[in-house]
Amino acid sequence: MLSWLSSVLPQLLFVLFGAMALGCAVAMVAHRNPLYSAISLVGVFVSLACLYLTLQAPFIAAIQVIVYAGAIMVLVVFVIMLLNVEEEVRRPVRLHFLIPVGVLLAAVLVGEAAFMLSLGGKSVPPPAASGVGLTASIGTGMFTKYLLPFEVTSVLILMALVGAITLARQGRTPLLAAPGHATEEPPVLDASGGLVLKSGDTAATGRAFAREQIRSGEAAAPSNVARGEGEEEGR
Amino acid sequence: MITLNYYLALSAVLFTIGVVGVIVKRNAIQMFMCIELMLNAVNLTFVAFSSYFGDVTGQLFVFIVMTVAAAEAAVGLGIIIAIFRNRESLDVDDASVLRL
Repeated sequence: MLSWLSSVLPQLLFVLFGAMALGCAVAMVAHRNPLYSAISLVGVFVSLACLYLTLQAPFIAAIQVIVYAGAIMVLVVFVIMLLNVEEEVRRPVRLHFLIPVGVLLAAVLVGEAAFMLSLGGKSVPPPAASGVGLTASIGTGMFTKYLLPFEVTSVLILMALVGAITLARQGRTPLLAAPGHATEEPPVLDASGGLVLKSGDTAATGRAFAREQIRSGEAAAPSNVARGEGEEEGR
Repeated sequence: MITLNYYLALSAVLFTIGVVGVIVKRNAIQMFMCIELMLNAVNLTFVAFSSYFGDVTGQLFVFIVMTVAAAEAAVGLGIIIAIFRNRESLDVDDASVLRL
């Protein structure tokens, strides 16, 4: 009984997680709401991670969950919620031919893959337990033979970081003011002509704003400084 | 017995679903997610080959592909935010010209 179970278990796991991945992928394409698509995509990532585990690649499985299902999908969901995208509006489709073209291309791709797989003569047996997918072996490969691609990757990440910030920031980069071109704001005078604010005096600006709020009743005066305004100037 | 071909077939079908999604979908974020699905299908191929042939190179490739996918996610979502800010829409049909 136990030997039968252990012989059928790989097939069982493959069918389970493969079907889960396929179902989630179809659901992702079928949903009109981007948020549901994103959740379905997380399902694909998790079931692929389980497939990696059955392929004896625990490091890649962990990275898959951490980087894909964790970081990238959080970014996508964050953007979806930031932009507050509603359901995809049903509008007259401009490019009617796209759906038949898509189905045709899918048929061609699947047919091509099936043809290639049917050509492949001897089928490779499943691997014996080996240490290939363990972290130590991956680290050894990454820091010896493939050190240059690894380092180039870090440069790529840096470029992506700078590019993303540049693309997503609002407005232009402020120009540095040249010494002769500094814009001087005129000083603010009160009703009697006394100097209330100088440009650049942020503390005085804050005090004047708070005083204005207290006077108009928007904010309650704090009990310890309600006696008068003269003392806070002296501090 | 699960041979290598099972994994390759599953990967091919996943990739095809991604291709169909990119062609059919009009929402920029959903097209983006379909591209991620295609990258994952390729990753499955890499890991399957690496595991069946006992060579670690495929899994290193997967690591690099994931890094590229992360960079792509950052830049792509930045572009999507910029498009949305200019056009108030995520529909790629609305972004069919370069000028504003």
